[in-house]
Amino acid sequence: MLEIYNLNKVYGEGDTRVNALQDISITVNKGEFLLIVGSSGSGKSTLLNMIGLLDKPTNGKILVDGIETTTLSDGKISEFRNHKLGFIFQFSNLLTDLTVLENVMLPRQIQGTNGSASKDAKELLKMVGLEDQMHKRGNKISGGQAQRAAIARGLVNHPTIVLADEPTGNLDSVSAQKIVQLMKSMSKKLGQTFIVVTHDRHQFGDVDRIITIKDGRAFEGEESAKMEVPI
Amino acid sequence: MGAVLAVTIGILVIHVNFVIFQGLFDAIVRDLTDYRFGNLQVTDEEDYIDKSDNTLVKWFERIPYVYAATPRLDSSAAINITKLGKRIEDTRVPIVGVDPLRDIKASTVHTTVTEGQYVFSRNSIVLGSNVARDLGGAQVGDDVKLKIVDRYGKDSIRRFIVTGIANSPGGNGFDYSAVIHIDTLRDMMNRDGYTGSIMVKLNDPAKSTELKDLFLRTFPNDDFKAETLEEVAEAQLSGFRSGIAMINMIGYFGMMSSAFAIVTIQMMLVNGKTKEIGIMRAIGAKRKDILIVFLFQGLIIGAIGASVGTVAGLGYTIYAKETKMSFNGSLPLEVTIQWDKVIQTALTSFGLAIIASLYPSYRATKLLPIEAMRTV
Repeated sequence: MLEIYNLNKVYGEGDTRVNALQDISITVNKGEFLLIVGSSGSGKSTLLNMIGLLDKPTNGKILVDGIETTTLSDGKISEFRNHKLGFIFQFSNLLTDLTVLENVMLPRQIQGTNGSASKDAKELLKMVGLEDQMHKRGNKISGGQAQRAAIARGLVNHPTIVLADEPTGNLDSVSAQKIVQLMKSMSKKLGQTFIVVTHDRHQFGDVDRIITIKDGRAFEGEESAKMEVPI
Repeated sequence: MGAVLAVTIGILVIHVNFVIFQGLFDAIVRDLTDYRFGNLQVTDEEDYIDKSDNTLVKWFERIPYVYAATPRLDSSAAINITKLGKRIEDTRVPIVGVDPLRDIKASTVHTTVTEGQYVFSRNSIVLGSNVARDLGGAQVGDDVKLKIVDRYGKDSIRRFIVTGIANSPGGNGFDYSAVIHIDTLRDMMNRDGYTGSIMVKLNDPAKSTELKDLFLRTFPNDDFKAETLEEVAEAQLSGFRSGIAMINMIGYFGMMSSAFAIVTIQMMLVNGKTKEIGIMRAIGAKRKDILIVFLFQGLIIGAIGASVGTVAGLGYTIYAKETKMSFNGSLPLEVTIQWDKVIQTALTSFGLAIIASLYPSYRATKLLPIEAMRTV
C-alpha cells in the first residue's frame, strides 16, 4: 500500500547543503499502526511531509496503492491528498470560522461528495465522543477535543493512510493518552493504516511497528546500540 | 467590512457629485430655457426681425411638438425714481420687452415675480430685485422714469408704474433687468413691428434641431438665425461641462481608490488566513478552489458594496429631489435619476471589486501548504 524507494531530500547547496533524508526505503502494509520516532531534527517530519505530498523529495519514489506520487502534477497532488490521505497535525488546525461538524465534513466537501458527508462526519464524531460538541466553533472546544475532531476529519474521506505529525505534542498527558488510545482503537476498528510521527515513543505503548529516523536514515525498530544497518 | 465600505463610499461619492454638479448644470440649463432662450431662439442675422411676430408665433404654434412661442425685444435704458424728494438714477439697465399674454405661456420668468404681478399693461414695469435695490428700494406702486435712445438717436422718456419685483433663485431670471410691454418698448425705440427674438418652447426638447432645420427651410430668404439652447448658450455651458467632466473624473479616481483599498484589505485577509489556506491545501483543496474562495469574496464585497452604495446614492438623490435641494441656498438643483448612469456606476464598481480581488486571490493560490501551515 505504501512503498518508498531510495528516498532522498537535500536542502540548500554547497556549504549549507543538508541531507535531511538519505536513501530511505520502507514498505507499509494495510492496517498497520506505524510509529516513526527519532530525536528533534532527525528528519521524521520531513519524511512524513514527503509521504503526505506536502513536500517533494530530491529523488526516490513513493508509491501509494501502486500510484507513483512524486511525478504527479499540482492539481493531481491535491486530489490525491484529498482522496487517499488523512492528516492529523500537532495543533489540531481546525478552521475557527467553522463548526466542529463543518470542519470534519470539509475534506468531503472539497471532494464534492456532500451527500453522505454529514452522516459520515456525525458518525465519526460520535465514535470520537464529540457528538455533543459538533455545533460549536473550532476554537470553542478544548485542545484534546479539537484533536479528536482532527482525527475524525482525518478519517472522514476513508483514506488509504492517516498521517499524524506529533498528534499529542500539544496536549497534557491525560489528554495525550486518550488521543493515543483513540487512534489505536480507530486503527483496529476500521482497519485503518496510521503513520504517526512522535518524539515520545513511550506514550504509544505497543504498536504494530516502529521505525527510527536518525540523521536522515531510517532504522527498523526502536533506537538502540544495534542500529548499524539502515533499512 | 472595510472593503465593502470602500466600494460603498466610492459609489456614494459619484452619486453625490452627480446630484450636485449635474443637478447644478441641469438647473442652469432649465433656467436659461425657461427664462431667456426657450428650446429654440430665433433672431435676425444682422439686427432685428422685421417680419410680423404674430405670423412667426402662429407658424411655430401650428407644429404639434411646439408648446408655445413668444416675441421679445431687448434694449437698455437709464432709469430713475424720485423718493421723498430725492432722485435716484440707475443707468444702463437691460430692458426686456415682452408680450404678456404669450410670455407667461412660453416662459416661466413671470413666476420669479415675488412681489406684485407681471407686466400686464402698456405702462407697467417689473423691476429686477437688484435694479429695485439700486433705486433705493423701489417698491410695487412706485413711479419710475425710463429713458431710451431711439433708433434716430433721440431720447425717449416715459413714466411707468412698478407692478412687480422679480427675484429668481440663483439670479438666472431678470434680477438685473427691467421688464416692460413689448409694444411700449417698440414705441420708445421707434421700431414699430420689430422683434428682437422669438423664444420657442417645445413639448419635446429633443426635437429642437429638427424644428430649427424646418424653420430655416421654411424661411430661407429672411436672414433668420435659429439656434438651439446648446448653441445659443454654448459659452455659458461649455465651461461648466468641462468642470463636470473633471468632477466625474475625480469620482472615478475615488472608485479606483476603493479598488486599491480592496486589494490592500484582501491582501491583509490573505495574510491573516495564510494558515487556514495551508490547512485547506493540505486536506486537498486545489489552487483553483482557493482562487474561487477569494474571488467569491471579492464578488460578495463588490455585490454588497455596489448594492449598498447604489441604495445610499439613490437615497441621497431622492432626498435631494424631494427637498428641492438648492445650490448655495438659492438655485434649486435639477435632480434627475439617470438609470443608465446608476447601473453603469454600480457595474463598474462591482467589476473593479472583482478585478481588485484577482491579485490577492492569485497570491493565495501560490502559498505552499507546508509553509502556510507554519504561520502562527
